[in-house]
Amino acid sequence: MSDPLLRVEDLHKSYGDETVLRGIDFELERGDVEILSGPSGSGKSTLLRCVNRLTEPDSGTIYLDGERVSGAGTDVNELRRQVGMVFQDFNLFLHLTAAENITLGLRRVKGLGKAEARERAMEHLDRVGLADQAGSYPAELSGGQKQRVGIARALAMDPKLMLFDEPTSALDPELVGEVTSVMRELADEGMTMLVVTHEMGFAREAASRMMFLDQGQIVERGPPEQLFQHPEQARTAEFLQRITQLHGGEST
Amino acid sequence: MSYAEDLRRVRTREGRSVGSMVLIALGGLFWGYLLLRWLINWEWVPFGTPGEPLVSPETLGLTGGTATAFQSLPQLAEGAYITVLITVLSILLGLVLAVPLSVARVYGRWTKYLSLSFTELIRGTPLIAQLYLLYYGLNLSQFFRGLTQFGPFTVRTPVWAVDLGPLKVQTALWVALIGFTINSAAYQAEYIRSAIESVDPQQLVAARSVGLTQREGILHVVLPQTLRFAIPGWTNELVYLIKYSSLATFITVAELFRRADAVASDTFDYTAMFTVVALVYIGIVITATRLMGYVEDRVALPGLGQTRGRS
Repeated sequence: MSDPLLRVEDLHKSYGDETVLRGIDFELERGDVEILSGPSGSGKSTLLRCVNRLTEPDSGTIYLDGERVSGAGTDVNELRRQVGMVFQDFNLFLHLTAAENITLGLRRVKGLGKAEARERAMEHLDRVGLADQAGSYPAELSGGQKQRVGIARALAMDPKLMLFDEPTSALDPELVGEVTSVMRELADEGMTMLVVTHEMGFAREAASRMMFLDQGQIVERGPPEQLFQHPEQARTAEFLQRITQLHGGEST
Repeated sequence: MSYAEDLRRVRTREGRSVGSMVLIALGGLFWGYLLLRWLINWEWVPFGTPGEPLVSPETLGLTGGTATAFQSLPQLAEGAYITVLITVLSILLGLVLAVPLSVARVYGRWTKYLSLSFTELIRGTPLIAQLYLLYYGLNLSQFFRGLTQFGPFTVRTPVWAVDLGPLKVQTALWVALIGFTINSAAYQAEYIRSAIESVDPQQLVAARSVGLTQREGILHVVLPQTLRFAIPGWTNELVYLIKYSSLATFITVAELFRRADAVASDTFDYTAMFTVVALVYIGIVITATRLMGYVEDRVALPGLGQTRGRS
């Protein structure tokens, strides 16, 4: 068990002339909750999407649980089965109920039977406090509820790693808390999480580490307290100060 | 009666349901009559003579064009059967082709160009030219002559046994079905393609993130949403096809328009015949649009393709 859960080596990504990631290296241990922070356009979301190859990196290598999961001869679907993803805009399947959103993957990917998939879906909906909304369609749910279903959908696949791409950015402020509290419970249960967020309250309370990205590079990385209180780089200090003024309030 | 009162009557549920009931009653009479004539033609009922009205126009005191039209109603009913058969089979077979064509068009690598070429070729040439090519050029009719002894279709030969003899009409019908299926597939593929493109691309990304393959994502996430979006356009194609099917007359298929045309040429009662045949087409078209409206409502989900209660 000496391998880290996730190891990213020298990741590069460009879109045409624009270089988004210029050599990213980091590791995540099991149970780590790492915040990805940085200004708009710094490459946070791209980095997150490269980890489960929704965006294909130009070069670099990704290891999950000691196994190489990027590059030639690797199965992208196999990688995604082990990595859950939560999106900013929820991206629930619009034609399916909350429960069906979860059972689809369980049945098609995990090959569970109808009844078993349904049972698992209900467990996970219950876990995010939405068992009573199992039959609701996404259009009938609030933003916070949608995102909790999105989290349940990802969790039901038993991922080793969960990726969160600005999970609260599309939510009304009063709905942020219900999502961050689910995320915090998840962190407490030992889930390994990589989270792009501006919720500094959540970062302070739940994160084990924090990474500050700018212009496609990791500028600084360390425990959240250290980055907030004793940042080594001026860029980190300036950004975190501004973001804390905007999003720093205690998240509930 | 005041304008406000009119408006209230139009808007209230009672007013609407009276209108619907009248329409349903008319539809019931229309399809009831057609069905009765079809049963007589198939000799499934112990009365009536194929091609002959149950009551003669003289008995009803009809004269001139009205009498001709009345006398020809059984013929038109037979023609309507062919028209409905061609339309329903071609639109459904066309749909079976159109779904993979449109998926290839949006997601395919090289199949995209195959699909595009097919669509442009079919949409870029006149339907009548396509039918002539199949019927006169490739002589598919002769080809199908060998098939007439097979399948349940031979049972229904009496329906087609008019004018040119059952064999020829029947084989021409196969050619028409192929022609309309191919043609309709191209148009339907365009409607479905635009519906696929109106599904949020992030839906497929989300499906892939759960571990579904591209194929599974298209099948279980993109297409169920697509087909809901596609219904209004698809209904439009259905309405076109009902009327385009009259082009089958030019490859000798004894469908609705050909029956009316034949009677009109014999009797010179053009106005009466083409008015009546127009009414029959309207009956079929209104039924089709109402049915599709019903289907649209039935498959609508909250936030997806809902036509009622949309703010």
